[in-house]
Amino acid sequence: MFTVTFIAILIVMFFLLIRVALGPTVFDRILAVNTFGTAIVLLIALFGFLVDRPDFLDIALLYALTNFISTIAVLKLFRYKRLGKAADR
Amino acid sequence: MDIAILVNFSLLTLMMLVVVVLIRLKSLLGVALTNGIYSLLSAGLFVTMDAVDVAFTEAAVGAGITTVLLLGTIAVTGMEQTVSRHGKFLPLVVIFITGAALIYGTLDMPPFGDPKAPIHTHVAPHYLTESTNEIGIPNVVTSVLASYRGYDTLGEVIVIFTAAIGVLLLLGKTVGKRNK
Amino acid sequence: MIVISWVMLLLGSAFCLIGTLGLMRLPDFYSRVHAASIIDSMGTILVLLGLLVQTQDILVIAKLILILLFMMLTGPTAVHALAHTASLKEKDSEPDSASQLS
Repeated sequence: MFTVTFIAILIVMFFLLIRVALGPTVFDRILAVNTFGTAIVLLIALFGFLVDRPDFLDIALLYALTNFISTIAVLKLFRYKRLGKAADR
Repeated sequence: MDIAILVNFSLLTLMMLVVVVLIRLKSLLGVALTNGIYSLLSAGLFVTMDAVDVAFTEAAVGAGITTVLLLGTIAVTGMEQTVSRHGKFLPLVVIFITGAALIYGTLDMPPFGDPKAPIHTHVAPHYLTESTNEIGIPNVVTSVLASYRGYDTLGEVIVIFTAAIGVLLLLGKTVGKRNK
Repeated sequence: MIVISWVMLLLGSAFCLIGTLGLMRLPDFYSRVHAASIIDSMGTILVLLGLLVQTQDILVIAKLILILLFMMLTGPTAVHALAHTASLKEKDSEPDSASQLS
């Protein structure tokens, strides 16, 4: 049963990749990349259960956080046109 | 079907598709984001190979820091790819020569997964059988990285630290000048 | 217990696939945000809960709950920030500079 969900997530990742390639706006791409991060967290958690080694959940946890940070960095770049310093509006 | 084959096959296929997308994309922001996807997928591949530390590093450095640094660079340089002025022929020749040299370099290697290969007969059996007694960490890859090759890992950390300082100096300086 | 887990996993994958269908077929960005939020919310919650009832190990349960918590906190925040930035961009950009975003 894990395998069914695993394959479903793989299909989801495939179509998200197509959405990244198609665009049309850059926000579609950011949305697809963000959702791709979610999909890969689920994929690794499922893989840990598939091979009966749930230790892999640590990595899934790390990915969930990394994904959030990179999405927020992209959006900060868009809003304020730079990354380094605090924004002055 | 064996689950490891399914995972390897699908992840490698997805990585290949990511590369095709990367080549086709014109928007630099999209390229930076797609790079992050590639890093996430290769980290997933490292997870399936049981190299948990390498996967941690790939996720943090490849998908996290590299994406943010690329975005910082894009913030300094602009979002669109400039059209190259030189012809397309010379890069093609350079790529073909480099690729041919790399393929020539792999000709001497033993076949993939060969148990008689030198790398599997030198110290690997010792690591596999003795690491639980000598180090006491359940994951062999972790004990090799952190203990048997500790000095090597220390050197890598120094290299990465130097590179990070260099990048920060470069990006920070340019951004500061523009603000004045 | 196992049956509950299977139902949850199957429903979760079904929600993920529905979200993907929406992400591919819906016409503009704001409607695609809705489709992606199906994957982020229902898909993630159901799959992780389905995994949660599979195990007895307290450490694994704690990690799964942590992942679920982080996903519930960060997913909506990121997507909200995304949609907000997109709407700001749309508001204060002229039609000719809007094509610059693509």
